[in-house]
Amino acid sequence: MAQANLSRNERISGWVFIAPALVLLGVFMIYPIIWSLWMSFQVGKGMNFSFGGFTNIIRMTKDPVFIRALTNTLIFLVVQVPIMIFLALVFANALNDPSLRFRALFRTAIFLPCVTSLIAYSTLFKSMFAGDGVINKALLAVHIIAEPIAWFADPFWAKVVIILAITWRWTGYNMVFYLAAMQNIDRSIYEAARIDGVPAWARFRYLTIPMLKPVILFTTVISTIGTLQLFDEVYNFTAGTGGPSDSTLTLSLYIYNLTFKFMPSFGYAATVSWVIVVIVGILSFLQFLVARDRRPAA
Amino acid sequence: MSGLKLRGVRKSFGAIEVIKGVDLDIESKEFVVFVGPSGCGKSTLLRMIAGLEPITAGDLEIGGARMNDVDPSKRGIAMVFQTYALYPHMTVRENMGFALRFAGVAKPEIARQVDEAARILELGPLMNRRPKELSGGQRQRVAIGRAIVRHPQVFLFDEPLSNLDAELRVHMRIELARLHKELATTIIYVTHDQVEAMTLADKIVVLRDGSVAQVGTPLQLYDDPDNLFVAGFIGSPKMNFLSGVVAAGGSTVRLPDYGDQSIPVAALRSRPADGTPVTVGLRPDHFKRGGAAHLDLNVELIEHLGSETYAYARFGKGEVLTIATQNDRDLKAGARLAAHFDPASALLFDAAGQRIR
Ligand SMILES: Nc1ncnc2c1ncn2[C@@H]1O[C@H](COP(=O)(O)OP(=O)(O)OP(=O)(O)O)[C@@H](O)[C@H]1O
Ligand SMILES: [Mg+2]
Repeated sequence: MAQANLSRNERISGWVFIAPALVLLGVFMIYPIIWSLWMSFQVGKGMNFSFGGFTNIIRMTKDPVFIRALTNTLIFLVVQVPIMIFLALVFANALNDPSLRFRALFRTAIFLPCVTSLIAYSTLFKSMFAGDGVINKALLAVHIIAEPIAWFADPFWAKVVIILAITWRWTGYNMVFYLAAMQNIDRSIYEAARIDGVPAWARFRYLTIPMLKPVILFTTVISTIGTLQLFDEVYNFTAGTGGPSDSTLTLSLYIYNLTFKFMPSFGYAATVSWVIVVIVGILSFLQFLVARDRRPAA
Repeated sequence: MSGLKLRGVRKSFGAIEVIKGVDLDIESKEFVVFVGPSGCGKSTLLRMIAGLEPITAGDLEIGGARMNDVDPSKRGIAMVFQTYALYPHMTVRENMGFALRFAGVAKPEIARQVDEAARILELGPLMNRRPKELSGGQRQRVAIGRAIVRHPQVFLFDEPLSNLDAELRVHMRIELARLHKELATTIIYVTHDQVEAMTLADKIVVLRDGSVAQVGTPLQLYDDPDNLFVAGFIGSPKMNFLSGVVAAGGSTVRLPDYGDQSIPVAALRSRPADGTPVTVGLRPDHFKRGGAAHLDLNVELIEHLGSETYAYARFGKGEVLTIATQNDRDLKAGARLAAHFDPASALLFDAAGQRIR
């Protein structure tokens, strides 16, 4: 309606106003995306490449380091995202209780990690999990372990530290979405359930979670994307190696290494990047499928 | 055995006292309405009975047992909220059966209970819909159904009809009255609509500022209010109030604002002294042809409602009085009117607003 009434002149001014943004988007987003797709079919070292068809994809299937990075990334994803989503829901539920004291303080404390400086927190984690760090000392003191754990030297514990770190960092971020959604739920729904004798766990399981479903889906998708792109923590904790012996190497770190560390192999790095894109696409689609309302009348 | 007893019940939010000592007895199977202006504490009192707000002081008994510290689910009550509070992601059937799952009721029994409630409330064709696919009145019925399946001894309603349009409100009011007969349980019903209170209640509790202003049957409150507040709150259109002074040994009241007209009043047991300032209360429908007393007034405005005619009349620049007449269709604005009434129907209130009897 309104569009039809716009004069030709107004339409032109409209385009002129958004043109700068469109140009920037085109140059810095759309062009690189297309270019990287084209690059992913190029072979060669450095700036010296030629079209190679599916060579990169074949190389990938035979590249043990890539398989390693892919497996690690998927392990991080499968372990970390559910834990974090669950924790965020539990925290949000607890912090939404109006009878809790110091709510604002707790909310801030849990949200703060995701806005702290990456370097500061990585350094802190590294020192905490050092051989003689507070974590080992505390565990020794309460006799959970008999001798210090070599957190960063053991492939299993190194993954655990990474998962702990990203969970610590992003739980609060997800929690804020849930808190916001919870504030929109009519409080008398819970009061009605309480009067009707619905126990607290069932109010959480059968009322809160279904009512938050759209937000949970949204946070799951963005967390999945975030974890698939995991780079910062691994890079900082392992000085860019993904060690010990590639046990924390992620796809993003591998791409970085392929591009900037080893003899640059831009084409192959682009192919690996597109693997992330494809996985994100498939997983997001699956998540929407799972969360879809099964009844025809929504 | 589902009567309630409240003794010295108080509630404070921080330093602010909201319920200031309520004593109340509610008989088993009674339909009790809490009525009062906005913010007087009706919802708070109801929520204290439900167990949603802790009781600051005093005692609450339901069915003879002290309930102050009993969990809401164990008080034998069910509540219907103003916002309906339906579970948005569940169908009507699931909404009504949900709580029973946690009470250890077997599935077939839940289905039977839900069907029974659906029959009473005529919800049959809607059972597989979600709340957002229902109209306001239908949602309200689902909320009531959810309460019915629990077979509570006491139903609590907090302004259940205030989100409905006028026509539906009248319809649901009749439904509720029927439901009370059919279920034969105690009902406590909060409203700020005095018409709802008058039509539904066996007993009305008028609340004012966290205290009980008066308790009685609808007609007791209408005919025999204890104070100015109740007299003004109950009845529509509102009671007329005229300020005056007792004269002639208590047999008349002189009205300085009405050109010193005097009106006779029925003999009072308390025999107020001459010169006592009083407020005279006259209901619009107390004005009748052939009454022994009258006021001389000028008609300002006439409203014809068909069955009734309201005349708005005043003396000089004084307060406008409302006069209801049944058959004076020929009344005209600007005319002089001698408004007759029976002196026995005039109520007197002292300077503190208490009734003089
Ligand atoms: N949680 C609370 N904290 C502080 N004050 C409150 C709280 N709940 C209610 N009050 C106050 O208590 C008083 C009574 O509130 P209540 O909701 O019982 O009124 P009401 O009679 O139900 O009014 P309405 O007809 O508008 O629903 C009000 O002054 C209100 O501001
Ligand atoms: Mg209220």
